[in-house]
Amino acid sequence: MAASIGAVGCRALHSRRHGKLLSIGRGLFSGARCLVAEGETHFGFQNVSETEKGEKVYHVFESVAKKYDIMNDSMSLGVHRLWKDILLHQMNPYPGTQLLDVAGGTGDIAFRFINYVRSQWEYQIKQKLKSHQNLSWQEISKSYQEEELKLPGGSQVVVCDINKEMLKVGKQKAQHLGYSEGLSWVVGNAEELPFNDNKFDVYTIAFGIRNVTHIDQALQEAYRVLKPGGRFLCLEFSQVNNPLISRLYDLYSFQVIPVLGEIIAGDWKSYQYLVESIRRFPAQEEFKAMVEDAGFLKVEYRNLTSGIVAIHSGFKL
Amino acid sequence: MRGRYVSRTLASVLLFRQPQPVGAGAAANRPFPGAAPRHSSDGQEQPKAWDPALLEFLVCPLSKKPLRYEASTNELINKELGIAYPIIDGIPNMIPQAARMIDRKAQDEEPKQT
Repeated sequence: MAASIGAVGCRALHSRRHGKLLSIGRGLFSGARCLVAEGETHFGFQNVSETEKGEKVYHVFESVAKKYDIMNDSMSLGVHRLWKDILLHQMNPYPGTQLLDVAGGTGDIAFRFINYVRSQWEYQIKQKLKSHQNLSWQEISKSYQEEELKLPGGSQVVVCDINKEMLKVGKQKAQHLGYSEGLSWVVGNAEELPFNDNKFDVYTIAFGIRNVTHIDQALQEAYRVLKPGGRFLCLEFSQVNNPLISRLYDLYSFQVIPVLGEIIAGDWKSYQYLVESIRRFPAQEEFKAMVEDAGFLKVEYRNLTSGIVAIHSGFKL
Repeated sequence: MRGRYVSRTLASVLLFRQPQPVGAGAAANRPFPGAAPRHSSDGQEQPKAWDPALLEFLVCPLSKKPLRYEASTNELINKELGIAYPIIDGIPNMIPQAARMIDRKAQDEEPKQT
């Protein structure tokens, strides 16, 4: 009895005050999660006020924007591409899906979405022809025309990020790679999205939610803008479950990554913030509870690379 | 497999809508009525163009009311609250802190003129 009340109390505390994280003696970095005063939050291992956190995060990404993609490749040794591909496979969008990619910055998820939807469409056309279904001439000519003009089925992806430098880099990338139709860029705050209710089929946030000052507000906004039946997907760094890998990972994170940051991007502090913010982010179960608190149902998570990253998924039903 | 090639050539005939002489050179010279050009000169001249299709999705983050696009100042206006969101390089900035308060004087003048 007492234990269950304690657990309920714990969750209520988490949902109301994200900043207060009780240390539950969770191994090496339990010290990093300590009680924080009201109105304060964490910026890596520092305690800062909430307004400060927003500004500091903005400056971090403003300074790393141009080298963001190169740094991702070097820090994760290219594995981040696999993680993002797996996210898309889990999403499995069909032509016609409306996607909102929050904290989408340089557009990795958006471009993968477009590729996926296009190949799904081609696959569907092939299947139709293989099974000898007779398409009318109008349908065939329409399919050739649509390829040129817009995304198949009217799919749309809106990339939203609080940082316009990241979006600028993303937009340039899109122009180089030839993505233009069905793709929009908006500067917006994940806690106060400039979109109407019930608009999107899928909401994704990849490696962005740990930088949001009020995670619960971001989750509530996600719930608001999704259509009923819509899916919430979050790809984020999480807690490693294997103790040996955990030790190697910590060594790599704290010894190698900031050095890489200094050499490649000329910015040690930003990458120090990055690895610290990963340690501060709630573990899989805790985050799952936060997603459930926002109203999502059938919330599940899937660990990738022994828990270095996790994909949390929920539905608005 | 053959059916696919047949349907492709027939589709190309449909798109071109004129007899197709053998040889790719001729195709390159004629403008295709159906297909849209990939690299339009317009796109290159104005890479910062605003996409009006976004207006379907966008609302004011504070009041969640629809916005009006003002072409002269390149801003999105929420008349109710009297604020305007700038559009920079074709990307609308929907952060409330970035919004500009519309001058009250200008708002008072409008009913007088109309």
